[in-house]
Amino acid sequence: MAVWVLAALALVLLMALPLGWLGYMSVSSETGTTLSHYRAVFTDPHLQRALWNTVVLAFWVGLASLAIGAPIAWLTARTDLPGKRLIRGLILASFVTPPFLGAFAWVMLAGPNAGLLNKLYRAWTGAEDPLVNVFSMPGLIFVVSIYTFPYVFIMIANTLELIASDLEDAASILGASRVRVALTVTLPMVLPAILSGFILAVLQALALFGSPAILALPAGFHTITTQIWALFQYPPKVEMAAAFSVPLFLATALLLFIQKQLLGRRGYATIGGKGGARRRIPLGPWRLPALAGCLGVMACSIFLPYGILAKAAVARAWAQPLTAENLTLANFALTFGHGATRSAIVNTLELGIMTACVGAGLAALLAYVVNRKLIPGHQLLAFLALAPVVIPGVVLAVALFVAYTRPPLVLYGSLWILFVAYLTKEMPVGYSQSDATFKGVHPELEEAGRILGAGRLRVLGEITAPLARSGIIATWCFVFIGVIRELSASIILFTPNTKVISVVIFDLKEEGQFGAIAVLGLFMLGMTFAAVVVMQTLLGRDVIGAKD
Amino acid sequence: MPGVTIKGLTKRYGDLAALEGLDLRVEPGELVSLLGPSGCGKTTTLRLVAGFLRPEAGEIWVGDRCLSSPTSVVPPERRRMAMIFQSYALWPHMTVAQNVAYGLRLKPGVPKAAREARVKEMLKVVQLEGYESRYPGELSGGQAQRVAVARALVVEPEILLLDEPLSNLDANLREEMRFEIRRLHETFAITTLYVTHDQAEAMVISDRVAVLFRGRVVQVGTAEDLFQRPQTRFVAEFIGKTNLVDGIAEEPGVVTRGALRLRVALTGLKPGASVVLSIRPHEIGLVTRGQRASPEHNVLTGVVQRASYLGDAVDYQIRLSGSDVALRVTATPPARVRPGEAVTLAVAPEACVPLAEGGFS
Repeated sequence: MAVWVLAALALVLLMALPLGWLGYMSVSSETGTTLSHYRAVFTDPHLQRALWNTVVLAFWVGLASLAIGAPIAWLTARTDLPGKRLIRGLILASFVTPPFLGAFAWVMLAGPNAGLLNKLYRAWTGAEDPLVNVFSMPGLIFVVSIYTFPYVFIMIANTLELIASDLEDAASILGASRVRVALTVTLPMVLPAILSGFILAVLQALALFGSPAILALPAGFHTITTQIWALFQYPPKVEMAAAFSVPLFLATALLLFIQKQLLGRRGYATIGGKGGARRRIPLGPWRLPALAGCLGVMACSIFLPYGILAKAAVARAWAQPLTAENLTLANFALTFGHGATRSAIVNTLELGIMTACVGAGLAALLAYVVNRKLIPGHQLLAFLALAPVVIPGVVLAVALFVAYTRPPLVLYGSLWILFVAYLTKEMPVGYSQSDATFKGVHPELEEAGRILGAGRLRVLGEITAPLARSGIIATWCFVFIGVIRELSASIILFTPNTKVISVVIFDLKEEGQFGAIAVLGLFMLGMTFAAVVVMQTLLGRDVIGAKD
Repeated sequence: MPGVTIKGLTKRYGDLAALEGLDLRVEPGELVSLLGPSGCGKTTTLRLVAGFLRPEAGEIWVGDRCLSSPTSVVPPERRRMAMIFQSYALWPHMTVAQNVAYGLRLKPGVPKAAREARVKEMLKVVQLEGYESRYPGELSGGQAQRVAVARALVVEPEILLLDEPLSNLDANLREEMRFEIRRLHETFAITTLYVTHDQAEAMVISDRVAVLFRGRVVQVGTAEDLFQRPQTRFVAEFIGKTNLVDGIAEEPGVVTRGALRLRVALTGLKPGASVVLSIRPHEIGLVTRGQRASPEHNVLTGVVQRASYLGDAVDYQIRLSGSDVALRVTATPPARVRPGEAVTLAVAPEACVPLAEGGFS
């Protein structure tokens, strides 16, 4: 009992304390409570501009993700498109690629002067002006979208997989044409998934810090997240940052609420699991063009960025052709030999492992308690564990900064504040994963042990644990991946002694050290993919949920 | 060997009462089925007996041990029971032998050699020799079922609980397993509670059947008792097909409905009371031309509305003349009357069974 209560308390502390301080801070001043910070936020033309930019960015990212994700989802789920496994694998890769790494790669690909694509364009056409400029709002929208569309893809592909062909056949036999079937049967069933995928993409764009910081700041404009970060630069205006965080938090909460409402009514789309034969629609002559289209998208999000990162990692000058004299391993030596970088790697691994262990453990404990209804109010635990999903990383960081730079608990300046931030941020993912794990362990399996004479703990050890083990390790990997790529909270909470890899990459950008960025980025990707492979193996299915 | 006594058992889920004062006694060595539609509380009863749930009121006794009461519940692991689950609940990470041996490992004083011998012996009883090292994922539904049976029986429990154990099997196998379970019960004679919603299954397997409805036992008895002498409308309709006729007792042994007048099985009715009669379709005889109905029988006339040939029987619906009552009649083939023809029916008074008053509707 005590264990459960402690876990509940830990959750409340993780969530309530920082958010409470955030709200308080946003209305406090030396003379008492005030709304002046909010007034400033909504009247200052700079901040207004940042708000508007965020709205534009989020909306277009939502639409673009839909435009990319929905057709690919349909192609892989319902047609005879060749190379589906490959496409799914590549989408998974773009799903786990840290967006800020993609943004760096696209700086090297489409920067107006040295960008590879622009150089090729100039060489071919002899033009003076660049073909594309990634330092612009359209550039930002593009780079964010190619790493956000997997959210839309997952939602729609999983729904399409669940719609049995006989639901469509039922309409055909009644005389509906193909188009009519698509418009009146298939589309309405997928619509909730489409809308909710759109909202997820919008949420990603709202909360993102790295890509706007890399692409928007040089272009001379701010989004909410970069603006909050800027408010933290010397001299810090914490109250303003807090006041600016609250609207972002509320917008996120509102959008997620809408998304849940949409999904809550999705039930009808999942019916039909039994009659589940799904016909593959033949694409005929369109097979190869369709495949080319999919690979084109993957070129933008994987092939080109990974290629340029790999090139930059082994080149003295990344913008020059990869000739023998341009080849070098110096970047690796420099990166891994550098003391500050080494300590960042150690910090990242320490935090990753610690957060993954505590997070997976706590998530497993909570999911077990909730699934087996062990204490009254267990639904509240589930709610608390999932609640941090409404807090964007930057907002969380501001809240933690406010809460833990003062007694009773001064964590700022140590790795602990990052640990708390990561744990909070990853709890929803960890909890959902654990919840699915324990849902898969039928309670009768435990009861069968009890009735034959085994006590609760013995059953937990001999029956539940072995059955849940791979699910829990997968949870561990999920949390680990989330932690090692985290930037938006880290960038506000780090101190010179507590840098992590993502922060170092961000710093290196200021120094123009693209070789070192590439090396660190590849290192980060290597760890991520190792964790993905472990998960895939353990779960025996695609991590993103799509089935073969 | 102890029996089970359940007294006034009540279980609520929020405002919803799953059980309301359920009473039942299972004699030592007896197999009693809990039969009822879904939501009647039969599985809840079984889970209360197993100790997975705590009752809001009432007690569960096994022999002279009180195992459950609102204030104290002996945990499942100390009840000396075994249970066979609807899902079989075989542990997928253990082999067949490990599954079966699990309960024995928890029993003090069973050395390894004896354990292995008993597992082997039990697998022989359920005809699964040679399957020791298979995993549950490698078994068919019927085999998994047998492993579940072996795992429960090998510990020699005082009480055996079965929760719809046959509902996941296909029809042929299900019928075979009914006899198999009955055979095992006759071999081991363990006091057994068996939950099912299938009346034929309950009738084949059980010594006695307890019919549950809305959280109460509405009637307990042998299969024959329940079929021949249902006490309530619910039991009459749930066990087999029947015709129900609402009427008024005119004399202690006669029930009327309008012009319809029937002599009935009981003679203790209170004149003027309303009575529901249950008349089984196969107890009603068709009187063919030239034949004479026995004078003891109720003789009725009517018109055939529908005749359905079913192979081993013909099912008629017959509207009685001068009455709003239509009776279902099951007769042996061939069909002798067609829709629209007039017929004479004969029903013995013993076949007109008045149900207890205040029966459930």
